[in-house]
Amino acid sequence: MHKTSYNHNPMKTILLFVASILVAMNTVAQKTGSVEIQFDNVVGNQDLVLKDKTYTNANGDEFAVSLFQYYVSNFRLTRKDGSEYVVPQDESYFLIREQRPETQRIVLKNIPKGTYVGVSFVIGVDSLRSASDVSRRQGCLDVGGEGKDMYWAWNSGYIFVKMEGRSPQVPMTGNRKDLVFMYHIGLFGGMGDKKTLNNIKAANLSFGADKVRVKTDDITRIGIKTDASKLLNGSTNVSIAANPSVMGGPYSKHIADNYATMFSYDGLKKELPAGKGAGVVGMNE
Amino acid sequence: MTLKTGIALCGFGVLLLSFCTKNEPALFEKPANFPAPTYKFAENPLTADGVALGKMLFYDALLSKDNTISCGSCHQLSAGFTQHGHALSHGINDLLTKRNSMPLFNLAWSTDFGWDGGVHHLDLFPLVPLQNPSEMDETLADVLEKLRKTNQYPPLFTRAFGSPEINTERFLKALSQFMLTMVSADSRYDKAMRNEGVTLTEAEQEGLALVRQKCGNCHTGELFTDNKFRNNGLKRELNTDEGRYDITLLNEDRFRFKVPGLRNLAVTAPYMHDGRLETLEAVLDHYSSGVEDSPTLDPLLKQNGRLGIALTADEKSKILAFLQTLNDDTFLKNNRFAEFGLPEKPQQGSMATIDWSKVDLTLTNPVLKTSFDKVMGYYRDMLNGLLAEDGATVKQSALRMLNILKNVDRSQMTEQQRAFYALVYEDLGFDTEHVGETGLIAHQRDHFGDLSKNLYRLVKAFHLNKKPLYYHFCPKAVYNQGGYWLTETADSKGNPFFGKHDEACGTISHVVLE
Ligand code: HEC
Ligand code: HEC
Repeated sequence: MHKTSYNHNPMKTILLFVASILVAMNTVAQKTGSVEIQFDNVVGNQDLVLKDKTYTNANGDEFAVSLFQYYVSNFRLTRKDGSEYVVPQDESYFLIREQRPETQRIVLKNIPKGTYVGVSFVIGVDSLRSASDVSRRQGCLDVGGEGKDMYWAWNSGYIFVKMEGRSPQVPMTGNRKDLVFMYHIGLFGGMGDKKTLNNIKAANLSFGADKVRVKTDDITRIGIKTDASKLLNGSTNVSIAANPSVMGGPYSKHIADNYATMFSYDGLKKELPAGKGAGVVGMNE
Repeated sequence: MTLKTGIALCGFGVLLLSFCTKNEPALFEKPANFPAPTYKFAENPLTADGVALGKMLFYDALLSKDNTISCGSCHQLSAGFTQHGHALSHGINDLLTKRNSMPLFNLAWSTDFGWDGGVHHLDLFPLVPLQNPSEMDETLADVLEKLRKTNQYPPLFTRAFGSPEINTERFLKALSQFMLTMVSADSRYDKAMRNEGVTLTEAEQEGLALVRQKCGNCHTGELFTDNKFRNNGLKRELNTDEGRYDITLLNEDRFRFKVPGLRNLAVTAPYMHDGRLETLEAVLDHYSSGVEDSPTLDPLLKQNGRLGIALTADEKSKILAFLQTLNDDTFLKNNRFAEFGLPEKPQQGSMATIDWSKVDLTLTNPVLKTSFDKVMGYYRDMLNGLLAEDGATVKQSALRMLNILKNVDRSQMTEQQRAFYALVYEDLGFDTEHVGETGLIAHQRDHFGDLSKNLYRLVKAFHLNKKPLYYHFCPKAVYNQGGYWLTETADSKGNPFFGKHDEACGTISHVVLE
C-alpha cells in the first residue's frame, strides 16, 4: 500500500471525526432551526420575465433580459444585540439562476433559535475561496460542474453576477452580429500583493419591524428581492450603447458599485407552493 | 541524478511515509541546486497511478471538441513541451492562439501561469486551453462527461483516487501530478553546479558571469526567472497584446509579460510571448540594440540614458555558449514524459528482454504500408534537397514526413510492432522534427544521419521496401561522428553531408533486400 488514496487519508479521517464531534456537541448544546430565503428577481417594480418583456433603464435604453444569475455567499444573521450568527462557510455558497426556480430558494440550516433583525452576505465569492485549492470548490463552485458558466479560466476567478440580453441600443460595430449585451462581472482582488480589481460587494439587509424568529426544528421563511435593473442604474447610469459588453475591464467596477444595492428585504414568507423550488444548489449538493 | 535528494516529497510527512520507504524512483525530487518548490504537494500528493492518469489525459485528444487536439499537440516533449516551430500555437481547426506556447517544465517552482500570469494555480491552468475557442473549444463539464462514458478511464481513476468517480478536482489534480514530474535539471550547467564531474569551459563560465551580471536581475537564480512581470522593450507596433495589464488593469502593467526561464532554449524557438524572434542571436540583438522605450519599459533596460544592454560581439558569443549549457537532453529524451514512451526498460514486462532482431515484425496492413511508402517518398525528397543544398525543400519534406510518422495509425499494428515503433519513433521523430524546424542546411545535416539510421531500422524490421535499399556511411560527416543515408541505387548519388562540396567518403555498409 504505497498509494495515498483519498479514502485512506488519515488526516481527513481525523478531521471528519473532529467535525462530527463538533456537530454532535452543537446539536446537544443548542436548539436550532432553519431559515429559508426566497429570492425574487425583479426589474424595478416589475417581475423579471426572461426574453419576452422589455424594460427601460435610467439612461432611457430599452432592454430585454435573457439570462440573469449570481452568487451569494458567507451568510450571517444579526441578533438584536448586534451579535451575529455566522453560517459555517462550507454551507454558505449559493448560485441563484433566474432560469432555474429551484435555485431561488436557499435554506440555511442549524441556525440557533432566537430572534434576528437582519441578514448580511457577500455578493459573489469571497477572495479566500476564490484562491482556494480545487478540493474546496464543490457544488455550485465546481468549475467542471454546476459553476461551469460562472468562471473565467484565463484570469482565474468566478463571475459573480451575469446578465445578458438584447437591446436596440447595442451598436452593430466590429464583428457584432446581434443586438446582444453582456455583463459578466467578477474579479476578486488578486493573490497577495498581485492586485486586480476587487468587485466583491456585501449586502446588509435589515428586517425592519419584522421579528424573524427561528424556532427549534422549524423553518422560518423570508424573502429577498433582487433588482436586476440595478446593474444599469445607480451611482453610474449605464448607457447600453456605450458599454454593450462589460467583462474583465475597468468599467466593471461601476457595474459592481451599482449591483451592491440590488438586494432588498421583502418580508416574511409562506411555504412556496409545490413545484416552485424543488431543491437547493449550494456547496454541499 | 544520483546527487538529487528526495527530501521534497518525503518532507511532506506522514501521508507519504509509506511511499518514501518504498524502493522506487521518487516521482518528484527537488534537485540539490534548486530552491524549495512552491507547489503545495500536501494538497495533491503524487502517486504513481495519479501521474500515469495525468499523462493519459495530457496526451488524449478526447479533451478537445472534435477529438483532434491534446495538450501534447501544443506542448511537445522534444521541444521542451512547446509547440515546435510555431510562433503562435495552433489549436482546433488550425486557429491561431493569441500567444506562443510556453515550455512546460519545472512548473513546481512557478507562482503564476501563462504569459500574463492570469492563472494563480497550476491546477487551474488546464481550464484555459479547454475553454478557449481557438485552443480546444470544450468545457470541462463536457470533457468529464466524455471521460465517464469511456471504458478505460473509470478504472484508472479508481487506481489513482480510490473510486471510479470522475470529477473536476480529480481531473485537474491528475494533470498537475503529471506536469509536476516534468523536472528539467540535468543540463551541463546543473551538473557543474552540483559538482557531478562536469566543468564548464572558460567561455561558458564567462558567459555565465555575463548572464548573472547583465540578465540576472530578471533571469534570476537557478530557474533563471524572478517570476515577475516586466516589459523588456519589444517593439509594440508588432503586437497589441498588453499582457499583464489585461489581468490587473493597472497602467504600470501594460506590455508586461512573465519573465521566462532560460532552460532548454535550443529546442523552444521561436522566442518571446508571440514568438517574434527566431534565434538566440536575434534575442541578444534585441537586448543590445532593439529595445524600444515606452512608459512601462523596465528601468533595468534604461540605465544611464542608454536603452537596452551593452553587449560586445565577444560577450554575445560567450552568452550564447553559456545558454547552450542549459539544454537538458536527459529531460528532452526522457521516456517517462513521451507520448508513446515505453516504460523504463526494466518495467517493460513482456517487451523488456525482447531481442528485436529475432522477432518477425513484417508489416502487412495495406493502410500502414501506404503511409510508410509516403514516408520513403518524402525521405527521397529530403535527400535530394540536401544534395542540392536546398534547405527549404529539406524542411518541407521533413515536416511532411513527420506528420505521417506522428499520426500513423498505431492501433493497426500488432502489440510488438507498436512497441518497436514507439522505440524507434522516439529518436526518428526527434531528428525529423529538428530537420524540419529550420531551413538551415548545417542544422539539417546534424540530424539527417541519425534520422537515416533510425529510418533504416524501421525499414528493415517492418520490411517496408519492395526493391533493395542501399545504406551508406560516411565517417567524416557531422564533425567526424559519422553519418548515414539510404538510396535506391548502389551509387551514393553524392554525399548529403557535404552536398556541392562533395567529399566522396561514402561506403555502402549494408543492403536491405526485400
Ligand atoms: C492550441 C495550443 C495549446 C493547447 C491545446 C494547450 N496549450 Fe497549454 N499553452 C498554450 C499557450 C499558447 C500557452 C501560453 C498561454 C498564454 O500565456 O496566454 C500555454 C501555457 C500553458 C501553461 C502555463 C505554463 C507557464 O509556465 O506559465 C500550462 C501549465 C499549460 N499550457 C498546460 C496545458 C495543458 C494541461 C493542456 C491540455 C489540457 C494544454 N496546455 C493545452 C498552448 C496550448
Ligand atoms: C528587465 C528584465 C530583463 C532583462 C534584464 C533581460 N530579460 Fe530576457 N526576458 C525578459 C522578459 C520580460 C521576457 C519575456 C518578454 C515577452 O515575451 O514579452 C524575456 C525573454 C527572454 C528570452 C525568450 C525566452 C522564451 O522562452 O521565449 C530570452 C532567450 C531572454 N529573455 C534572454 C535574456 C538575456 C540573454 C538577457 C541578458 C542579455 C536578458 N534576457 C535580459 C526580461 C528581461
